[in-house]
Amino acid sequence: MQKRKFIMGDDAMALGAIEAGVKVVTGYPGTPATEILEVIAKERPDLYVEWSSNEKVATEVAMGASLANMRTLAVMKHNGTNVATDMIMHFAFTGVKGGYVLVSADDPGANSSQNEEDTRILLHTYGHLPILDPASPEEAKEMMKNAFDLSEKTGSAYVLRPVMRVCHARAIIEEGESTAPDREPSFEPDRSRFVMSAVNEPKAGGKMRPMWRHELLNAKQEEYKEISEKSPFNWIEEGKGRTGFIGCGIGFAYIKEAFSHLDLNLPILKIGTLPLPPQKVRQFLKGLERVVVVEEIEPVVERMIKEICFEDGLKVEVLGREKFLPAEGELNTQIVLDAISKLGIKELPEEFKPFDKPKMPIRTRTQCVGCSHRSLLNAMKEVTRKYKGIVTGDIGCHDAGSFPPIELQSTIYCMGASIPMAAGLASTGLDRPVVAMIGDSTFFHMGLPGLVSASYNGANITVVIGENGTTAMTGFQPHAGSGVDVRENEVPKISIEAVAKAVGATVRTVNPYNIAETKKALEEAIKEKGVSVVVAKAPCFLRNSKSDQLFFTPRAVEVDVDRCNGCKICINDFGCPSLRYMDGKVSIDKATCVMCGMCADVCKRGAIV
Amino acid sequence: MKLDIIIAGVGGQGNLLASVALANYAMNKGLEVFGTETIGAAQRGGSVISHMRISDKKIYSPLVPQGSADILLGFEPVEAVRNIHFLSPKGKFIINNYPIPTVLCNMGMDQYPSEEEILNILRSRSPQGYVIDASEKAKEMGTLMMTNVIMLGALTGIEPFFDKQEMQIIIAELLPQKVLKNNLLAYEEGYKMITDSNAGLVTA
Ligand SMILES: Cc1ncc(C[n+]2csc(CCOP(=O)(O)OP(=O)(O)O)c2C)c(N)n1
Repeated sequence: MQKRKFIMGDDAMALGAIEAGVKVVTGYPGTPATEILEVIAKERPDLYVEWSSNEKVATEVAMGASLANMRTLAVMKHNGTNVATDMIMHFAFTGVKGGYVLVSADDPGANSSQNEEDTRILLHTYGHLPILDPASPEEAKEMMKNAFDLSEKTGSAYVLRPVMRVCHARAIIEEGESTAPDREPSFEPDRSRFVMSAVNEPKAGGKMRPMWRHELLNAKQEEYKEISEKSPFNWIEEGKGRTGFIGCGIGFAYIKEAFSHLDLNLPILKIGTLPLPPQKVRQFLKGLERVVVVEEIEPVVERMIKEICFEDGLKVEVLGREKFLPAEGELNTQIVLDAISKLGIKELPEEFKPFDKPKMPIRTRTQCVGCSHRSLLNAMKEVTRKYKGIVTGDIGCHDAGSFPPIELQSTIYCMGASIPMAAGLASTGLDRPVVAMIGDSTFFHMGLPGLVSASYNGANITVVIGENGTTAMTGFQPHAGSGVDVRENEVPKISIEAVAKAVGATVRTVNPYNIAETKKALEEAIKEKGVSVVVAKAPCFLRNSKSDQLFFTPRAVEVDVDRCNGCKICINDFGCPSLRYMDGKVSIDKATCVMCGMCADVCKRGAIV
Repeated sequence: MKLDIIIAGVGGQGNLLASVALANYAMNKGLEVFGTETIGAAQRGGSVISHMRISDKKIYSPLVPQGSADILLGFEPVEAVRNIHFLSPKGKFIINNYPIPTVLCNMGMDQYPSEEEILNILRSRSPQGYVIDASEKAKEMGTLMMTNVIMLGALTGIEPFFDKQEMQIIIAELLPQKVLKNNLLAYEEGYKMITDSNAGLVTA
């Protein structure tokens, strides 16, 4: 990297971790923070970097590295933090050795997530871990470096919680000094710390060890507060008036922006840490009548401020996302401007007045032209329609099969849920076949325990695994079934078929570009008792379209307009974006068609040839 | 000075290269640059909005506030209108007249607005802009992929901050050698679309 570069927040955090001397980096993709891991893998071939099979595994590998006294980083988003929670709740109790930074990226507005969460609650309010919450890419880089130092100083993991807008902002970032410690890996057991077990602890006069560790964790909170008090990421900006604004993380940026448009000079408290710096907060509240807390997403700091006011008997009105600001979604400057206007502080100029956005057609996500999931979903739709089947879905590129036009999957929850939910539906004695649809990365992430459980419990389900060899939805990260590691080095490829067989399922493998073959396998699987796995194997087209290992023979297809009766089967059951429907006829957009020829196989009238 | 630019399009249209070019241009001038992308779906076919902010003062938010964009570059008409609230009433727009229908429009479940409707909304927000056939031109010159450089060429035609020659150097640094020549020709065409004739000019 150059000295000054226009880069993403993620790249900036990667740079921070490298400057801090990180040695081991783990994570699971599909997060606003994915690029942190990818950039480190690319920039520093000498460091150990892995895509773990899921986030819990990632936090555990990182813990192992920390025990060897090395600096370690685990990268995930809120859903992943949920998955890793069990481990996180344990290392919160034991503490760490080598600096351990957990990046838990939140996605306010859920621009690319299936739900919206504020992991500050999980990690701080519930897990009692200290958190750094950056306001900008620049600050995120500094916080990353600081978090490693603080982690070693306190002996606890530190959380860096960038929101999507910090991860995906681009800014001019400067390289900095190395703060890397100079040391070799070493290991010394310390069982009273690193053995979490319900046992009487001699060091604590025979108290139960978990309770003793809990006491130590609670005692740590004072130390974290001391650190917050002196932290360069919290400060007060003096101003005029009796209304103050508290900006947490990126909330600070929107306050500053809004004030600059209105030439306002109200007092601001900038907050970048949890726990809060209690003295600084008290100093700020002095003389104020009212404060507005601007934070993403939940009213976390707002409630802490209320608690301080309550404890001190302060009559300060505390406004925030609990009642005053929108309670869901991403913040922006406009929301702060509206708040200022609502409080009667200043009238908004014309351009900031409420604006009725014109209604435009929405763009639903769909599979790419040429994607093998589309013909697979088509085959599944035909077969499940015939047998009145129910399809439970999972997350991945195929999940767009649950939207119009295809509308196949009836459920999407968290990763891996398709298989147990199918088993649950089937367990009721419902007289309809139940099919789970899951991608290969998701299968290795959390699908596997569900499959084991279904097989063990004699579930009567079909499990379709779309094996495209990659984590496609999130940008082609390799996984345990890809045969390559994070740096594209060849590694053993774990066979889904072999795993499914070992679990006791029957297994059929099909080429999803062969719709007839796929339908036949699905019909057989549905009629069979027990767990039947259908592996639909074809490489991700978007990724492989330039190679010559295509799984279909290219066919230039045309619509025979005399034969097309506008039945729209090709659109409603297949829905390729290269198909156009106008004036009762279908046509093919040659500019985007990749000649997979699947639409010709889908058409019942032989009108696409 | 400050210049806020919104680039609205759909995945695969090359928004990102365009915003990096703008950023590099401003950085070379020693200015502050801050921006972000909102990617509706991390996949092809979803809406993609880039916010690019240039200023000689510190910029706090990567997001352009409502009503503050000096320029709206619409790589796709519906996406441009969807983001019209960002455009300042004093701002200018350049729209690529190349509708990409949505899946639902294709199915006949949704109606893609007419050119007239789109123009009316654009006019109601800002008195000045251009509608140009950037993608048609790109296709004619060999590939749709050059839509972005044509739009950049057009931008240098309406915004004096961007010098045509200097911007060309920046673009050349970002493109692979083997497509460079054709892209620079396309860039030139984009510039001409604004300056040669007023065919695409839309006024209120
Ligand atoms: C716990 C958790 N981690 C990460 C993600 C982000 N994510 C969404 S889909 C997906 C995986 C998709 O890969 P795969 O199952 O192989 O399906 P494909 O997209 O390749 O068809 C991931 C990681 C998530 N939703 N939840």
